Amino acid sequence: MMNTEQLYQQRLARYVTAMRNEKPDCVPIRPFVAEFTAKYAGYTCQEVCHDYTKAFDAAVKTAKDYGWDAVVPNMVYVWTGLAQAAGLRYFGIPGIGIPHTSGFNYIEPPEGEAWMRDDEYDELIRDPTAFLYNVWLPRVSGEMSKIGEPSTYRNNLALVKSSMAMLQYFYAFGPQIQRMRTESGTVSAIAGIFKAPFDIIADKLRGYIGLTMDMATQPKKVLAACEALMPHLCHVGLTTADPAKQVPIGFWMHRGCVPFVNPGQYASHYWPTLKPIVEEFWKNGHQTLFYAEGKWKHHFDTFRELPDRSIVFHCDRDDVFEVHRRLHDKFAISGGIPNMMLSYGKPEEVRDFTRRVLKEVAADGGYILDAGAIMQDDTSVENLRVMTEVCREHGVYSTGVSTPLAATPPCELPTSLISRRQATGMSGQPVPLVKPGVCLPWEVKVKEMPEIFGDRDLIRKVWNDVESLGNTYIWQLLLSF
Amino acid sequence: MQDVKPLYEAVLRGDAAAARAITEQALAAGIEPIRVVNDYMVPAMDEVGRRFECNEYFVPELLLAARAMKGALELVRPLLVKSGIKPLGKVVVGTVRGDLHDIGKNLVSAMLEGGGFEVIDLGVNVSPEKFIEAVKSKNANIVALSALLTTTMPAMKLTIDAFKTAGMRDQVKIFVGGAPVTQKFADDIGADGYSENAPGVVGLAKLHTGAAA
Repeated sequence: MMNTEQLYQQRLARYVTAMRNEKPDCVPIRPFVAEFTAKYAGYTCQEVCHDYTKAFDAAVKTAKDYGWDAVVPNMVYVWTGLAQAAGLRYFGIPGIGIPHTSGFNYIEPPEGEAWMRDDEYDELIRDPTAFLYNVWLPRVSGEMSKIGEPSTYRNNLALVKSSMAMLQYFYAFGPQIQRMRTESGTVSAIAGIFKAPFDIIADKLRGYIGLTMDMATQPKKVLAACEALMPHLCHVGLTTADPAKQVPIGFWMHRGCVPFVNPGQYASHYWPTLKPIVEEFWKNGHQTLFYAEGKWKHHFDTFRELPDRSIVFHCDRDDVFEVHRRLHDKFAISGGIPNMMLSYGKPEEVRDFTRRVLKEVAADGGYILDAGAIMQDDTSVENLRVMTEVCREHGVYSTGVSTPLAATPPCELPTSLISRRQATGMSGQPVPLVKPGVCLPWEVKVKEMPEIFGDRDLIRKVWNDVESLGNTYIWQLLLSF
Repeated sequence: MQDVKPLYEAVLRGDAAAARAITEQALAAGIEPIRVVNDYMVPAMDEVGRRFECNEYFVPELLLAARAMKGALELVRPLLVKSGIKPLGKVVVGTVRGDLHDIGKNLVSAMLEGGGFEVIDLGVNVSPEKFIEAVKSKNANIVALSALLTTTMPAMKLTIDAFKTAGMRDQVKIFVGGAPVTQKFADDIGADGYSENAPGVVGLAKLHTGAAA
């Protein structure tokens, strides 16, 4: 009988082996469960959105009871406390203006009132961090003052509260991850966050409509903006990634695919400003989990340009059997069990489909069982139980490896050495005016300080360390909240 | 005689400024407003829809064309109303309760307008009661429901059931759509039609109002 730590190590080996596109002892189960955990644990959507400790409890209980190998520590990610402290206008929060029984929604800004205006590209391109602080943040916040206007008590409160709330929330994840390990032997499924520059502009800056119009009227500026965002988004991914280089960086793909863009726009804007970052992640030993929301089959050939094993492709509404045919020789695959089936289908349908996936997609290894999209509270408890049981019964590899996980292999894998030599990552990209991770550079600050005595490096280090907190705040608001 | 054919081309390529300018000139030259709509705008939007179905056009082209058409239609509509010309039908459009997604819905509204329908767009997070109220007050004969989440799809059934309870189910045709919605779901909840994209809704609307060719 294994103890919890042994169970954890077994699950970690299973999960990581599969993500390396190899055959573990059996097919790992890593459901992306969000509000489903609330339903299972007896909480409302409102409760888990407002109280992240309940969300944490729900995640642990669900993972433990189902016996899953890996989950995200809390997938009801947007904590109301932070969103409200900052006064973020782009969220619909359960119970505030929308039914308390629904999950949180993102709100597109009204047309003409996008968070970034069509004539502000140059400012964004010059210094994205400064633009986010000076222009974007006051605009997306209902509490913060605009630059140049008198500051207010509420502005000061919003800045302090939201940044302290962010720290409090982020610091709670470490104990949660440890708790998952020690209480239920569950692996924390992903580490780090990334979104494509093009998606950031659509989702958080110009809105989808605004960006679509910009692509017609000023496509060169859009491209320059994507390029300006690249080093910063790469920096966030790398600095939030798994130090052990075992679990992948979560890459949340949204509307960069056909038909939201046309093929020409994907080729000119979306892919060229995304690919170098994924290559850079891989150069640094980190896989990227492509959470391919929707259908991305028109772009599989471009994904194949990436080095072997550099990504895990998560299948949402693509046909998982086609995904397997077209990508499995290079990349591990996760997902593909339809959410509609898991929510509204009969258990027999779930059983049959899961068996088919195990047989046709998982047979060679390199597959992680999951639904297509993140599961909300309409997912059936029974159907997930059936999916899990079928996998445990029929997802065992007779020749699979059941040994402790080997050290993370170097990126220079023989099968992709040639492509590795060709991958330039971010090294070919222009260096930004203000480097990633910094808002107000030390070189600027030191000029206005009194004469420095003693250990200059110490003073500079402390300045830079705290600077990075300021940088983290604004880029995390942009990416994660 | 004013050549209005460039209007068709302008809408097709999404040139809003040209579409508006040509429409202005055409109306000033005395071309009948209904001809401007039926002979040029509607066929242009039909062609846009066809190209979308054939994967020649994508959402950006749809959006640009819809804008071009909408801008031109703004000039024509008051004249149509004045001359008593009726739309092909009246459609109440909305994203269902609990759902805030609106891009698809907005495309549907634009395509329906381009197809000759009057659209009453209720926005997002629309309760069944609001749909019913809009149908009553505007005397609409079609309702188009949008949902982008599996969690909000049940609100489509609730809306259809609300029309039944209100004794109004037979007065309207109800169509559903949105990324997670399927034909099977539409059939199961008793919808009259399902479309997997915005152009398809126009065809459904024409079919059910008898306006299809």
